[in-house]
Amino acid sequence: MPPELTVTLRLPSHPRYLQLVRLLAGEGASAAGFPEEERDRIELSVVEGFTNVIRHAYKGRTDQTIEVRMSAPPGRLCVELEDWATWVDPVGIFSRPLDQVRPGGLGVHLMKSTMDRVDYRKNEHGGTTLVLEKRADAAAGGAR
Amino acid sequence: MNVTTEALPKGTLLAIEGQVDMHTSPELRGKLRETLEKKSTPIVVDLTKVTFIDSSGLATLIEALQAVGRYGGRLRLCGLSPAVRNLFKLSNLISIFDIRESREDAVK
Repeated sequence: MPPELTVTLRLPSHPRYLQLVRLLAGEGASAAGFPEEERDRIELSVVEGFTNVIRHAYKGRTDQTIEVRMSAPPGRLCVELEDWATWVDPVGIFSRPLDQVRPGGLGVHLMKSTMDRVDYRKNEHGGTTLVLEKRADAAAGGAR
Repeated sequence: MNVTTEALPKGTLLAIEGQVDMHTSPELRGKLRETLEKKSTPIVVDLTKVTFIDSSGLATLIEALQAVGRYGGRLRLCGLSPAVRNLFKLSNLISIFDIRESREDAVK
């Protein structure tokens, strides 16, 4: 049996790394055995998470650090995005109502509609760690 | 990402290639703005060669849809892959946009 895929990367908080983050998430989803359609949605969720860290935690600053940790044992993918910004209370993180058609506010909805777990943890640097997890054996539909 | 703009006998075609995300959507926004400033209609956005689009890309298209509506123009999308179509469905946008199956149909 091949070794479990685990990756830890420290990246600048720059959107030019989104392509790399997407490819990494896709590799992880494939290694964990998710089918193509779910792989696409997992890639999207992880990209939305990384984007939200840049946009909301770092308020668009591109010279900060985001640590990406990924583990992909069979049937499960876990991605953690750790920042060195300030703690973001998850109570204040929500998606816009879908019936209001306007730009923005969809990232959280897209993550929650795909992943089984979308958690925000206070980390040891005083920042936030976004935890995204998808399990093959979970009921379809993602976290609510 | 690459955006090719082509004047049509009536309207403008924008063909997008590659990944549309927070990094690349400002370039798309700029190309759309140039077209919107000319009050072109219809504006046809061909997504056939889009490999990935996220909520930043969707936001850019929603902005364009709203802007074109302000001068009574029309925005049409075509060439959505199953993954891109799924994103539109997931975001409740499938009925908001005028989505055509092919470029030929969209430029009519």
